[in-house]
Parts: sequence; structure tokens; C-alpha cells
Amino acid sequence: MDEYPAGSLDHNVPFLLTLGTRTGTAYDAGLSATLKEQAVLIRSDLAPLDSDQAHALLRYIRDRDASELPCNGRDASGRKYRFRVKTAERSLLLPPRRARLPEGIEAPSPSATPAPVLHSPYSPLSPISPLYPDGLIDTQWIRKHQDLVPSVLLCFYALVSDPTLATLCDNQIKTDINNIRALLSQSGYKTRLAVVLLSDHVSSAASFDGVQERLEIIRRGSGLDSKALFLVPSTDSQEELERVAENMLTTLYAVSVEYYRDLGRHSRKKRGRGTVPQPTVPPTSGTSQTLSLAGWNVRYDFKSAMFAEYRLEMDVALRSYEQAYENLLSSEVMELIPSWSPRWNEARFLADVISVHCLRCLLWNGQHSAAARRWQFHRERIADLVERQGRGTKNYGWEAWEARWAVVMADLIDKADIPELAPTTLRLYLPPEKSIMGERLQPWELLHHTGYWYRLAAKHLQARKAFAHAIPEDDRRSPSISPASHVAKSAFTYDTYMCPDPHEEYPLGHAGVDHGQMIVDRLMRARAEFLKRRQARFAAEVTLECARELAVAKDWQNIVQLLRPIRKDMPFRAEGWIPIAEELNWALRTAAAEVGDAELVLLADWELLSRDFTKRPNWHYDITKSLEGVGLKSKPSVSIQDGQLISFVSASFLFKNEEGKAGQSVHSQLCIRSNAHQGSAPVVLQSVYVSFSGSLDGVVLRHRENGQASQHSHSKAILTTVPLARHAGSDEQLESSTPDEASNGITLLGPADLTLRPGQALVFNMEIPLREPGETRADSLTVNIESEAFALRQSLTFQERSNSNIWYISGSATKPLPHPHPLAVHVLPRPPKMEIRCPVWNEQYYTDEPITLKFEAENGEDVEALARLDVLLFGEKPPAFTVEIPGHEDQISSSVRSEEARLSGVPMGTIASSKTVAVCLRLPPIERSSRFDLTLKVTYFLPTNPGTPISQTAVFQLNVVNPFEANYGLIPRVHPDPWPSLFDPEGIPLPAAGAGDDHVSPPPPKGISQAWCLVTRYASFASEPLRVTDFDVAIQPSPTFRCSSTKRTGLPASGTGRLVHPKTIEEAAFDLVAQKSTVDDRSHAPLDISLIIKWTRPDADPASVNTTTLPIPRFTLFGTEPRVLASVSHHHHPHHRNQPLMMMITLTVTIENASSHFLTFGLSMEPSEQFAFSGPKQTSVNLLPVSRRSVQYRLLPTTALAVTTRQVKDGESGEEKEQQKGEQQEGEEEEEEEEGGMWIRPVLVVRDKYFQKVLRVIPASEGLRAGKDGLEVWVPRLGPELGAAEGKMSER
Amino acid sequence: MATTIPSIVCLGVIGRNNNPLHTSIFPSYDPSSNSYHPIRTPLQFSLILSSTLDVFELRSHQNQAAGVGLTGDFGLLHAVDDRLAAYGFETNTGTRFVVIVDMRGRRIDNAVAAGFADGRDKRIAGAAAGLREGEMRPVFKAMQAVYIRLTQNPFYDPDEHSSPLGHGGKKIMSKKFTEDMRRIGENWTPGITNL
Repeated sequence: MDEYPAGSLDHNVPFLLTLGTRTGTAYDAGLSATLKEQAVLIRSDLAPLDSDQAHALLRYIRDRDASELPCNGRDASGRKYRFRVKTAERSLLLPPRRARLPEGIEAPSPSATPAPVLHSPYSPLSPISPLYPDGLIDTQWIRKHQDLVPSVLLCFYALVSDPTLATLCDNQIKTDINNIRALLSQSGYKTRLAVVLLSDHVSSAASFDGVQERLEIIRRGSGLDSKALFLVPSTDSQEELERVAENMLTTLYAVSVEYYRDLGRHSRKKRGRGTVPQPTVPPTSGTSQTLSLAGWNVRYDFKSAMFAEYRLEMDVALRSYEQAYENLLSSEVMELIPSWSPRWNEARFLADVISVHCLRCLLWNGQHSAAARRWQFHRERIADLVERQGRGTKNYGWEAWEARWAVVMADLIDKADIPELAPTTLRLYLPPEKSIMGERLQPWELLHHTGYWYRLAAKHLQARKAFAHAIPEDDRRSPSISPASHVAKSAFTYDTYMCPDPHEEYPLGHAGVDHGQMIVDRLMRARAEFLKRRQARFAAEVTLECARELAVAKDWQNIVQLLRPIRKDMPFRAEGWIPIAEELNWALRTAAAEVGDAELVLLADWELLSRDFTKRPNWHYDITKSLEGVGLKSKPSVSIQDGQLISFVSASFLFKNEEGKAGQSVHSQLCIRSNAHQGSAPVVLQSVYVSFSGSLDGVVLRHRENGQASQHSHSKAILTTVPLARHAGSDEQLESSTPDEASNGITLLGPADLTLRPGQALVFNMEIPLREPGETRADSLTVNIESEAFALRQSLTFQERSNSNIWYISGSATKPLPHPHPLAVHVLPRPPKMEIRCPVWNEQYYTDEPITLKFEAENGEDVEALARLDVLLFGEKPPAFTVEIPGHEDQISSSVRSEEARLSGVPMGTIASSKTVAVCLRLPPIERSSRFDLTLKVTYFLPTNPGTPISQTAVFQLNVVNPFEANYGLIPRVHPDPWPSLFDPEGIPLPAAGAGDDHVSPPPPKGISQAWCLVTRYASFASEPLRVTDFDVAIQPSPTFRCSSTKRTGLPASGTGRLVHPKTIEEAAFDLVAQKSTVDDRSHAPLDISLIIKWTRPDADPASVNTTTLPIPRFTLFGTEPRVLASVSHHHHPHHRNQPLMMMITLTVTIENASSHFLTFGLSMEPSEQFAFSGPKQTSVNLLPVSRRSVQYRLLPTTALAVTTRQVKDGESGEEKEQQKGEQQEGEEEEEEEEGGMWIRPVLVVRDKYFQKVLRVIPASEGLRAGKDGLEVWVPRLGPELGAAEGKMSER
Repeated sequence: MATTIPSIVCLGVIGRNNNPLHTSIFPSYDPSSNSYHPIRTPLQFSLILSSTLDVFELRSHQNQAAGVGLTGDFGLLHAVDDRLAAYGFETNTGTRFVVIVDMRGRRIDNAVAAGFADGRDKRIAGAAAGLREGEMRPVFKAMQAVYIRLTQNPFYDPDEHSSPLGHGGKKIMSKKFTEDMRRIGENWTPGITNL
């Protein structure tokens, strides 16, 4: 707006001029020299007032000046008037109402017709006016009403209270007023005159009438309207003064409005005439063309619009302005003006002015969208005009105007002070007003805040600059040194409306228009607006544009100042607006390099290495070169936090395992990846620091060139295993390379080649020792770069991502690590290093054997340990055990519950490092096969950490098994002794001799005796051979009978026993003789016996014999049922010397009647082909109660086996034979022939005659068996060795 | 004289973390060379898209206070200048669609314009003046449909693109998505109700 001539665009406010107060400055009308000469002087003869009262009043009036008030219809302070106030001390100049005739023109003789009419010097009719002869209207006219010709002239006079002087003064005032009035009317202006009288005496009721009277006199004397005379009473009260002043100004405002209404009426009247007034002097120069009627109409419309605006009749004003505008741009005015003419630009200017006033009217009325639309309308209208008639829109002049036009709008919006658009509302644009709500609107028609307009202006200025820079050199030369033809040509090429000629716009050789500054200025204003409305991003965008301009102007310092906060605060980078961040970086980097801000340069260079940014060709991309050419005061050190910028270095860390143990180490992998541009220089990291939380502080890897790196230069990843060592002491260098907070604690150090090539990953395998239980977590990585020029530190926080757990197996092979938290390792407490061993542990231990278990506890710790032992034996009915530790007392366990025996806290004493303590655990013989869990727990303390108990536990499974198992058979035998007779009086038990004689041994048994043979077959179930030294049977004594046994063990007589191999069956037999104690008792009796095996381990001391007792299932002896027992004896004797031996078998059938009945049995023996027999074929046997009888048969087998050539193998046990016999019997039913003999089947039937029941014949000796069909008798084969065999037979 | 009508010059999808997910740029008519080419550079479009975030933030505050804007349609965000205007839409998952319209982006020939004016289709001729409120709704609807189709792709992990931690995210690389965006941008004309 400032580019327009002063006042041309100003809001029109009624003009009030005060006269007669001392201001100390002379009144400056601002008239041009020509006009000044002709100006009308209006002066007051009285001395200007200098009283406090006058000054106070004047100050108040001036304070109420409304020319700077916001241009809107809202009445901010409830003010009823608006004045533009100027003050004059004693005199003022008014421009001449009528211009004089120009000098050169002689005043025509009065006789000449028509007589030249003199016109206003502002009119195109007066030759003195610049508008003469065909101009429309110019700023001068606008200024005339704004600045020169007041609507109200307010004269200050003092009303003297001194009665002596009062009349004189009043007269002087009257005279002065009349004088001024005369001068005013002489000037031809209709300026209203008003007088303010400042009374200096204290008002009182008495004097009030006098004052009124005096006022009346003055009023009448000076011919003033009653509304134009004001009295300000003398008062100290400011409120009173203000009240009076308010009243006065309000009254004057009405007068002033009336004044402007008169002027407006006058203009309309002139327009209504419809004639073109004739200029004072007909034009003689130029086209000698005068202003057309249409032009005049524009002029009149414009004037009436202006006066309407003075009156604040904005609707009227708007209508008139629009009318003027339409007429101006119509084919009759503007279109007719040739574009080369200065009038063309004047017309354009007028169009602008009218448009601005239109816009103001619209804004005043709150028609914001209409204003925006009007703004666009004017632009398009003018563009169209310029395109058609002017020099087009493709030149800097047009862009200059566009920019100006945008700024004008911004200023107007600013001036209008729209509350809905105030920054506090955070509104960016106004909604359309109701009248055009539903219409199709351009978005720009919603009135945006000024920031947008300034930015638009800047955009056009940039275009202007571009056009200016495209001006060919010829045009940029000063016209004085250019050929005239060229000047003429360029004059028609460039639009120089309100902007300089090309040779000034962009002159050759020296500076012209500072476009950059203009752009920056607009942008900064825009930026301020955006920032006020929290449009931080938009402001940043504008700032970037600004920086671009500043860079052209090489104002580096400002760039850094502007961009640094953006770089720091704006989230472009974090949000992923890479191109923006990139732009920012380059701009900042360039500026910082110029300014010498090494830190910014490094930051930018470091970030720009990342491949996220586009690669700029011809850029070195070498961080070490980044400070070349930057002036440095000291060596810069830059520390970059994670997330502060987009780093091309990224890092990940993995613990291979989720858990580790304190004191052990865990595999881990650190991976540093580079995402730098291909072709950028490798970055040598001086050191990297991995910081941990937990027991470990950090790991430092220091760069060490190892030469071989170059050969990896093309692989994607380089895998290195780094040995780590405990960092000792405080190393200054290390301190400097690790962050300060991690100064104490354990830091590990390792060397590695840290040359990071673009696109490559450095992978370091590290074994990280774990010290303390808890969680150790890798937190961040700090990368240090140290060069001669700078030090840079970048910290990177490790992030846990489920998809990035890649473990490098080699440089090219990876595997995913299924590990939810690879950054952390859970450190379990230190594992015990005490070892509990059992050097000899058997799979099985045997029952009935004392068990001795030997353990060793070895201290694997580095230091001695004070240890204690807990032993727990868990199982079913565990025995109490004894623990022996050398040097300590034996301790016996206690049984806490039925299923566990425990011994706690057995002191083991101090075990020196790597020494062993033997522990001996003794268990008594266990009777039953069972299974126990033996837990040994060594709890120990280390002197290095006496508070923490460490325990080691070992669990052993103790299997106790029965070494033997056996089965049993009880075979009846015929007792050789005769039975006692029931009738024998000796057998009758006598009553005891003495009742109380306990010592008398029980009388010898006199009852029935029975013989039995107990056959046991036992097998070893041990896992190793055992030596059986003896057998025995334990017979449970019974009150009713007596039983004794004789063993036939088959063991060597030497007493060393027999080695029984596992899974072999051995046999042992016992002869049992049982006798009832009395004859009377013949009932069943149970026999409870158990087998006792005495055995040792083959390698054990023979003296330590273990005794295993196997209980034998109960047998039943005796009974009253009759029994038939068969027994055989074999005889053979030669009949003849040459004949084979004859086999004679005696079969004795013994029938026992244990009952108390007389029984008769029938015996029959059927003849058979197998043998011949002698003895009763059929007989009856009578048996008395409790008696037995025997019947003998002699058998001679006929199928006999006279002589056999087959040999009976000696040494074969009877058992084997019998087995074979049994087997063969199953195989062949008829043929009973077997090896060594055969079985014959005598059909012997014993029948109870009374019950007609056949009794079973029980085989009761060797050589008999109960066959399928009855009794079978063994016939041995006779042979040469018969004697031996026979002997053997009889032995059994 | 050729008449120009509004056209889409840029479609942007911005993620929940204010991160750019997608940007499609369309050429607009340049009367000086009588040809079509993008009115701004990609960087400038980036800046324009980014600056809409300010408006989204401001507006969501205002909407929240006023209890309006539940549809997610933010309408006109702001006019960047007298030619370009940005319209916005926010899904209820925080993804934002931005349409940048060039008010003079497409040329229609006199004859065509006249044809429209004849009444065969007054829609476009009338549209030359400006845009009605809600004119962008079909665009947003179409964009949202395309975006929903994208999220239905099991290989598309929304968290990867707008990390729930609140930091950036990857851009959308789907060819189909880009193709759909292109289709929307190219086919839209003022007054169109279905894309």
C-alpha cells in the first residue's frame, strides 16, 4: 500500500482543523510550490492560546484522531464521530479554489467570448494541473480533501473572566471570527467554522448568566450558528473536559457530515449536467484532446463516492465506486487511452485506487468473500486489459503489480481488523457470508488471513525477479548510453507501471531493485502471521523460501538464525518428510559453512550421508572433508542424540540366548549398518560404545586397522569376532569416548576394524561375561568419530523389533533369532561349581545287604568353600542312614515322614579349592526291594561373598532289588516209622505232673508223623553272579505239631558255596518230618516256612554273609482224609550170569486212615502188557481208625529193556531227566520209552468200599509220578553202568 | 479463449504419525506453454502437504471443542494461494487424505465449454467458477475405499506404516494403490459424484 502515493488509498475521514492553540510547529499545508504561491491564507490575529486548558483540550481532540482507526463498521469505543485532526497555530493555507491562468497565456480581454473560465487547480481543465488536458483525477485531489481543506475549522479562543478585559476580548474574538469567516468565504471553500471558547474563571451560578450573555453576544456578533459555538468551562476535572469535548466533537461531526454531503451533492449535480466542461485554455500540446464525457463521469462518480465515504455511507460509496470503475474500464475511457500514454498508467492507477476503496467498503460491510472476489475480479480485469492493450503479463512490471496488489489486500485486511480472523481465533480463513453461501466459490474467495496474502505477494515478487533477471543486457544499460532506437523499443516492451525501468530494475553493473529484500520482507511478514496462528509447518515452508532468497543475498547469518530452530524443533525428519529435511539440510549446511558454524555443518553432512536423501552429484560425501573451508576457532565436538537426525548409521544388538548365568558369558552380536550413499567415503569410527543397563556398564570397541578389511569391501556384511578384555583403570581416552554417565562400573574393551563402508554392515561377535544376576539390557550405541578437524559422537538407541532379530552366521548367511527380547539377557544366579560325584554307582543294590555309598564333593570354585551337606532319602519306608565324613562325627538320619529320611546340615568343613571331600553314606540292609531317591545337597559359602549361600544338588536313584526268587514244591513221602496206635495206652497224654511246672519241656510228640520233601527252585535276579554259601529253611513252630528239616543243598561241602549266575535256576531240597503232638489231633495243620539263602558278593569278604529270607507260601499238612501213598523200590539181580540184569520193581501202596472211622478199601491191579506183577490182583484192605497198611506189588517190566547199548550219561542230574521225561511225555502218548528208561503205567485202583469212591494214588517216592491216567512207575534202562545209575537212583 | 476448470494436482495420504504415506502428483494446465505439467515440484508439494498438518491440528482442536466434524471431512483446509487449495479428510484411525486442487488446472476448449453451456452438461461449465462445499467428498470416499482395500491386503501391515509408537513409518509401495490414486486424480472433475 505504501507504494501508492500517500493518501491515495487512505480511508477518508472528515477533516477537522483547529486554529488558535500554540503547538510550537508551523502549519504545513503540504502544497506544491505553484499552488502555495496561489494559496489562500487564513489567519487569526489573536495570539494562540497557551493555557493548560487549551492544551488539554487539544490533546484530547488529537487523541481522538480516527485516521488510524481500523476500517470497519464496528464502533469500537462507542464513538459517534470520526475526525482526522490537524492543528494550526495561527494561520493556515488553503489551496486556491481557482487556478490562475498560466503565465504564458495572456488574460484574454474581457470582451473575448467566451471569457476563460477559471477552474480548480486539481481539475484537468486548469492548465496548471498535471491532469490537463485529458487526465481523469489524481491523488492531488484526494489529498486536497484529506489534508488541505478541512470540513470544520475549529477556532480556539479564551473567554477572559476579568470583567475589565472581558468586553475588549469578546470584541476581539468577534472581530477575529468575522475576519476568518470572511477569508473562508473568500477562498470559496464551504468549510464550516466553529469556535470553542475556553473560559478561565471559576463558574458559579451568578457568573453563569453573565457568561451565557457574553456567548450570545459573541455568537451574534460573529454570525455563528448556535451549534458552532462551544464553551469549555474552566475546570480541573479531566472528565468534565472530556465530556465537553465529546459533546463538541459529536456536534461538529454532524456539521462535518453535512459539509461532505454538500460536496457530494455538488458532484452529482455536475454529473447530472451531462456536458463536458471546457478547459480554461484549450489544449495546444500533445493530442490536444480533452477529457471525454465518460471520463468526466468517472471523475464525478469517483468524487461522490469519496464524499460518501467521508460520510461513512459505505453502500452509497461502493455503488459510486463501482460505477466509476465500470466506466473507467469501459470501452469509452480506458480502452481509448493508448498504452504508451502516461494517461494509461494513470488510469490503471485510478482503477487500483477505486478497487481498493471498493474493497474497503466491502470489508467495512463485512462482505469478506465479496472482497476477495472483488480483488480477484480487479486483477483479472486488469490482466485482461494489460494483455489486450498493454504490455502483457509476462514481464516484471505485471508481477510487481500482482505482488503489490496482494500486499494491498493484506494491508486492507489488516486495517479492517476483522475479529473473526484475529490470530487468537486460530482461524485461517473466514466462512463465506450468508448471501453467497451456497454458491460455487473459489477457495481463495474465502478470505484468508494476511499471511497468505503476503506469501502470495512474495511469490509474485519471485516471479518479478525471475522476469527481471531475464531482461537482456541491452535493456539493462542506462538509456543514456544506449542507442536511442533501442530505448524506444524497450519503452514499449516493459510495463513500468509503478515500477522502475528495466535499466533500474536490474541494471547492468550496479545494484538495482533489491528483489531479495522485498521477498524476504513479505515472507517474514507472512511467517509472523503463520506463527501467530500456530501454522508452524507453513511458517517453516515460508522460512525455507526466505532462506533461499537470503542465500542469494548471501545473508548467511540470518539463514542460520532462521533455519536452526526449524531444524531443531520441526518434526519433518521424525515424521518422514524427507525431501523437506533434505532441503533444510542443504540450505543450512551452505549457510553454516559460510558462517563458520562447524557443528551445523557436521550435523548436516552427517545426515546427508544417508541414502534416504537424494544424492547430489559432485558432492564429496566424505565426513572428514566436511569442515574444509570452514573457518574454525576451535576443534568442534558434536554430540548427536538418537532421533535428532536421520542417521545413516543404524545399529542393532542381539543376545543369542534369553538366559545366561552369572559368571558365565553369553554370545552377542553387535551390528552397525551403514546406509550411506554408494560411493561415499568410508567412515572410520574411532570407537563405538555399547551401553548396558544391569551389571555391565558398557563395551567399547576401538578401531584398529587390520588391513584385511579392504578385501571385504564388496561384501554386504563383515563378521568379526572381537575379544573383550576387562578395561582396567581410568583411561583418559576412554573417558572421553564414553558418555559421562557411565564412568564407573565394568567396561569391556576390544579392538576391531571399524571402517564402515557405504551399504555395509559391520557385525561383531562378542562374548559378554555376565557378572551379577538380574537383567542385562543393551541400551544404546555411541559412535565416535575423531578426526583432526572435529569430533563427532552419535548415539543410537537399540530398538526391539520382532522382524529384525537377524543373527549373522557368516558375512552372507543369517538366521532369524526366535527371541522376543534380544536386547536383554536374563542373568540367572551364579551356578555352583561344587561337584558331587559318586565314583562307583551300581544300577542295583540288593536287599538284605548293607549298602555303603561313597560320594565325593569337589570344590570347583576358585576359592575355598565352607560347606554343609544335606541328605534326603525319599521313597517308601526309607531306612535310617548314616553319613560319615572324615574328620567329622557320623550322623544318623531322622525320619521326618514315612516316605523320607533326612539328614540336614552335616558339616563338611572347609573344602579347599579343587579339593575333594569323601562322603560315605551307609544304609542298613533293606528287606524289601524298593526304590529311593537320594538327594545330596551341598550348601556352601565363599569367603568372597559370605552372605550368599550357593548350593549344588545331586540326585541319585537307588534301586534295591531282591537278588533271588524261588518257587517251591512240597512232595509227600512215606514216613518210615509206624504210626502210633490209637489203642496204645502209652500214647495217651497224661495230665501234667505239676500244674505250675513251666519248666517241664513239652512232652515228646506222640502223634502221627508225616514225611515230606520240600523242593525249592531258586534263581538269581541279580545283575551279577552271587555266591550262595548256604541254604536253610526256617520253620515256623506250631503248637500242634513238630517239624524238623534236613537239607539237601547240593552245595559243595567246602563251604565256599556256589557261584550262581544271573538268570539260572538252581534247586535245593529239604526233607521235612512233621509229627503231631498227640494222636488225637489229626486235623489239618498249616506249615509256615521260609527259605533262607546266605550269599555274598563274589568279590566281597566271605565273612560278610548276607541272608536273604524268602517266605514260602503256606502248605497244609495232615488231615483226616485217607491217603494212598505209592512208593517204589527197584531191585535187580542177575538170574544168570550171562543173562541181562532183571529189573524187579517193588511197588508199595500205603493206605493211611487218619480218620476215626473204620474204612474198607478195595485194591485192584490190572494186568498189563508192560509188566508182569505179583501181588493181589484184587483185594480188600480194612483199616482201623488211625492206622495204615501197606500192600506190596512186585513188578517186572516186560517190554523190558533187556540190554541197551545206549549209554546213560553220567552226571546228568535227575532234574534234567525228569524234565526230559516230562517233555517226552507230552510229545508221545503211547510210547513211554525215554532215554535211560521208561514209564510204565500200572492201573492200580484204590476204592473206598463204603463210599465207592476212587482214591488218588499219590506218588510218594522217587520213580513215581502222577501221570495223566494215573500212577506211572519209572523203569530205568539197564546197562553196564547200571550199577552206577542205580546207585544214583537210590541216592535220590 | 480456453476456459480452465479445477483439477486435482496432488493427492496425499498422511499417516497417523504425520508421516507421508503416499503422494500422487498430477499435471495441470499451463496456459503460457499450452501444455500440461506439474505446477509445483515434488518438494513443494511435500511442503504443501506437510503444511496441511497444521490445519488438521488446528481444525481438530476446533472440531473437538465444537463437537463437530464427526464425519472426518475437514472440507477446505486452506487455499495455499489463489490457485491451489487443499482439502482434507481424516479417517477415524487418524489417516488423513489431502487433495490439492488447482482451480485452473484443466483446460476445456471453448467449443466444449460452449457445449456444456448449451445445457448438455451445465455441471462443468458452472464449475469453472469455483467449488461447492462438499465437492471433494466423492474424492475422499474413493480414496478411503482404495485405502480400505489396501488395508485388507494381508501383506499390508498398518503398524509398519504408522508405527503405534508414534514415529514415522514406511510409505505405501502398493502399485495398485498408486494406480487407484492416479485414477481418482485423473478422473475427478468438479461436480462428479462418483469415482
